[in-house]
Amino acid sequence: MSTHDAKAMRPPGAIDPPMPLAHHFDTAGQQAGSAKFGMWVFLATEVLMFSGLFLAYFIVRMLYPEMVLSSHELLDKTMGGINTVVLLTSSYTMAMGVRAAQLGDKKGLVRNLVLTIAFACVFLVVKYFEYTGKFSHGIFPGKYFNYAEAGAYAMEHGGHVLQGKPHIFFGLYFVMTGLHGVHVVVGIGVLVWVLMRAKKGQFGPRYYAPVENVGLYWHIVDLVWIFLFPLLYLVR
Amino acid sequence: MANETEKSTREPSFYEAQTGWKSWAFTLDHKRLGIMYLLSTMIFFFVAGMSAILLRTELLTPQGDFLPWLNQGLASLFGNPITEEAAKAQSGTTFNKLFTVHGAVMVFLVIIPSVPGALGNFLLPLMLGAKDVAFPRLNLASYWIYTIGACFFLYTLFAGGLDTGWTFYTPYSTSTGTAVISATLGAFILGFSSILTGLNFMVTVHKMRAPGMTWYRMPLFVWAIYATAVIQVLATPVLAITLLLLIVERWLGIGIFDPAMGGDPVLFQHFFWFYSHPAVYIMILPGFGIESELIAVHSRKHIFGYKAIALSSVAIAMISFIVWGHHMFVSGQSELAGIVFSFLTFVVAVPTAIKVFSWVATLYKGSIEFNTPMLYGLMFLFTFTIGGLTGVFLGAMSLDVHLHDTYFVVAHFHYVMMGGTIIAFIGGIHHWWSKMTGRMYHEGSAKIGALLVFIGFNTTFFNQFVMGGQGMPRRYYTYVPQFQQQHLLSTIGAYILAVGLMWTAAYLLWSLRKANKKIQPDNPWGGMSLEWQTQSPPIEHNFHGTPRVDSDPYNFPQIDRTGEVDGSH
Amino acid sequence: MSNADDKDDLIFLNGQALQPEDVHEVYEHVSPQILYVKILGALFVLTGLTYAVSYLNLGPASLPVAMLVALAKASLVATFFMHLKGDEKYHTFVFVSSLLFVGIFFTFTMFDLNSRDRLSQEQGTFFQRQNDPSAGMPDRQPGLSPFVEGTAPALTPWQVEAGATPGDAAPASTEAPAADAAAEGAKPAAAKPAAAKPGAAPKGPAKPAGH
Repeated sequence: MSTHDAKAMRPPGAIDPPMPLAHHFDTAGQQAGSAKFGMWVFLATEVLMFSGLFLAYFIVRMLYPEMVLSSHELLDKTMGGINTVVLLTSSYTMAMGVRAAQLGDKKGLVRNLVLTIAFACVFLVVKYFEYTGKFSHGIFPGKYFNYAEAGAYAMEHGGHVLQGKPHIFFGLYFVMTGLHGVHVVVGIGVLVWVLMRAKKGQFGPRYYAPVENVGLYWHIVDLVWIFLFPLLYLVR
Repeated sequence: MANETEKSTREPSFYEAQTGWKSWAFTLDHKRLGIMYLLSTMIFFFVAGMSAILLRTELLTPQGDFLPWLNQGLASLFGNPITEEAAKAQSGTTFNKLFTVHGAVMVFLVIIPSVPGALGNFLLPLMLGAKDVAFPRLNLASYWIYTIGACFFLYTLFAGGLDTGWTFYTPYSTSTGTAVISATLGAFILGFSSILTGLNFMVTVHKMRAPGMTWYRMPLFVWAIYATAVIQVLATPVLAITLLLLIVERWLGIGIFDPAMGGDPVLFQHFFWFYSHPAVYIMILPGFGIESELIAVHSRKHIFGYKAIALSSVAIAMISFIVWGHHMFVSGQSELAGIVFSFLTFVVAVPTAIKVFSWVATLYKGSIEFNTPMLYGLMFLFTFTIGGLTGVFLGAMSLDVHLHDTYFVVAHFHYVMMGGTIIAFIGGIHHWWSKMTGRMYHEGSAKIGALLVFIGFNTTFFNQFVMGGQGMPRRYYTYVPQFQQQHLLSTIGAYILAVGLMWTAAYLLWSLRKANKKIQPDNPWGGMSLEWQTQSPPIEHNFHGTPRVDSDPYNFPQIDRTGEVDGSH
Repeated sequence: MSNADDKDDLIFLNGQALQPEDVHEVYEHVSPQILYVKILGALFVLTGLTYAVSYLNLGPASLPVAMLVALAKASLVATFFMHLKGDEKYHTFVFVSSLLFVGIFFTFTMFDLNSRDRLSQEQGTFFQRQNDPSAGMPDRQPGLSPFVEGTAPALTPWQVEAGATPGDAAPASTEAPAADAAAEGAKPAAAKPAAAKPGAAPKGPAKPAGH
């Protein structure tokens, strides 16, 4: 709990707005601590929700190993890799944003939030191209999966035969990346909200809980992707 | 125990502090939200109860005759008459829809939200000495999310209903033509209400206790709500993803649960029961909390084994996550897994038994007042113990092979859910009625109501154990004639129970009439926890100033021989 | 994290009054920028490692190794970017507990799916889990894409398995692909008869279990 020379790190022109204390809290520490604890509990729920999808993935992998291996070759590893780098960098800019808020560096906070939102949008754009690419080759989730087209595409790219029931794998792929994408969209929404408040100069060393908590949410989105990417795209 | 209220003049209660519908619809006051949850859950209790009455009426005779008659009547009422054969053919599905409505509404709209939502919301900050929960706006959101989920359920009723059973087992749920998606969406949304409530309560208990209130000085109701909140937070997200996967499977045909598409139906059951077993503990743990309060206050004795009861709540919460396979013994699950789950199910019964013994020990040499809350408390001990013990029977895999999907299971879960949670809930409503409303019900009527409920409940469900042991399957609307006498008894019991519950609602609502101007004491029972140290009904900010505590809330002052209470603070 | 008593202006944490010198209500644990840059760098390195591991063809070890790398990345993000280090220990407890419960979910479920046949094998009981691979899936219309009109003659999944190309209409009977399909793990038996109730609406022709 040391201050770690925080005051020394503040840039010139740093702001220090007061914390608006809600009527049902007695002290600032109670309020900030409650907010952060609440966010961590929420993150636990997010982890558990995605865990169901990961379990479904592991089960499908266990039941149909050949099918999973042959199907996942059709996923674009480069786009996945770009998305991974983009999300990791956005995590970095988010953490820097929180740091800026802690130091009262309004310009830095706004800049980092804008960057985070930009990276998130890049992620979504790449995802869009990935999905449309899949659709153009007949790769749709579940019962819309076009075996003929997809099989032909598989033959052309790398010359392998699509084995088994690839509609299951791709169904899971779309659900997992889709749910993750929904979380990215929601993340962009809350980031924009925090950005608007940051521009108004509401955050500083005494009050940065919303920035921190949105940051925590964003990092979980990144964490899920860290596991999603190797499992879906890479693992043999 | 010290308290900090100055009650020289009566301040306006939280009801009077603000007026207008907007002050209720957009309220941030946990007490108002508690009242709103109470009203909503009781409305749905009525809806689900009526569908049960319809079910039981059909089951009066071994063949299907009530439902075809009902279907024909309703069809001609809506100007679309059908033949008798058509009505008969439909009535099987109608029966399925009725028990699905009964189950789904009871589980998702009544029992899970009622005690945490109604009593928990109202009492938690009061018991902790706080001014509100940690996140009042999130609390408001929880309530409206509940309402939206309820609308989805209502829509399902109008869109032809659902016939899969509340458990939504695949592959039937992925292929049936009934309104699965709207019902599962409703349950998905309700799950979020549950998660957010649990989150709110967890943070409130951690961060907003009054000065001096250490963990071991909290009322046991708070411990119970806290353990419930932990389960809500950890288990409900898995329900969310299960229902999402079910919706996607139905809509897009992914193939994870439906064997025709390459999936595993038992996998659905694993996903479903990973939530739904802890869910039954979400249902009962608050009931345990209420029971601790009822028993201690109305026998004016320090609760026996405070720490044991407190920690056993947490233990139940933890162990409840590793026993879900006992719902799946005959599903095709591996026998080895079944053995493991069976063993763990026996383990989870232990902390529950600790509680029951502690309550009985509390009663011993207590100064028991046989008022209505205590009557419900005693009723709980009786019915919950039967329910809990029969749960252990079902946990033995060898027995479960014979008893699974029979009326034995039905009787078991009604004994724990209705005989446990609902009985405790009604007892809690009576115990805290004057705190919540500032009025008191008529004690004589209440005792009659308790008697009707007790007789009705046991008549309905006790012989269902016997029926189940003799092989009567559940979710069947026709049966072999040898069961008719028992079904008749069950149905008569159901009618008595319905009358008893409506009687209870009636006198409770009657106590709210304008003409009932008698000002009730703030602490009619002499309770020592913080909610009793403030006005009835409480002022908007709960307390004047911050209360400070220095002991647990069960140190009742001694009563002298003339029966007068000796100087409570 | 603490609350106040109006009377004495004391701050309470966990029910105990704090001495004025112990009151650190809102702390500032601000790390230097270079730390975040280093962590990002490490994350990039580990991402490269993830790629490398996948191309290395480690056989059955590739999944655990990939998961370990992912775990390392996740730990870095959680510890430094999410400030678990230097925060209240309880937050780490909450996060790790959620992972523990995920582990419980995974372990028991996988244990069940893995041990489906163990006892019956010991007892010498025979379970048939696979059906005629050429049976169709009545409700699906394979090969239809919602976006493209008039697709090429569609193959059922088993035709694809059997090595048929889009040109053949008839399924070719083959050796290895069919044998692979047969060997692919335990196919789920149609478990509880889901609707074997006299009350339920009659379903279509009996669905094949598994395949």
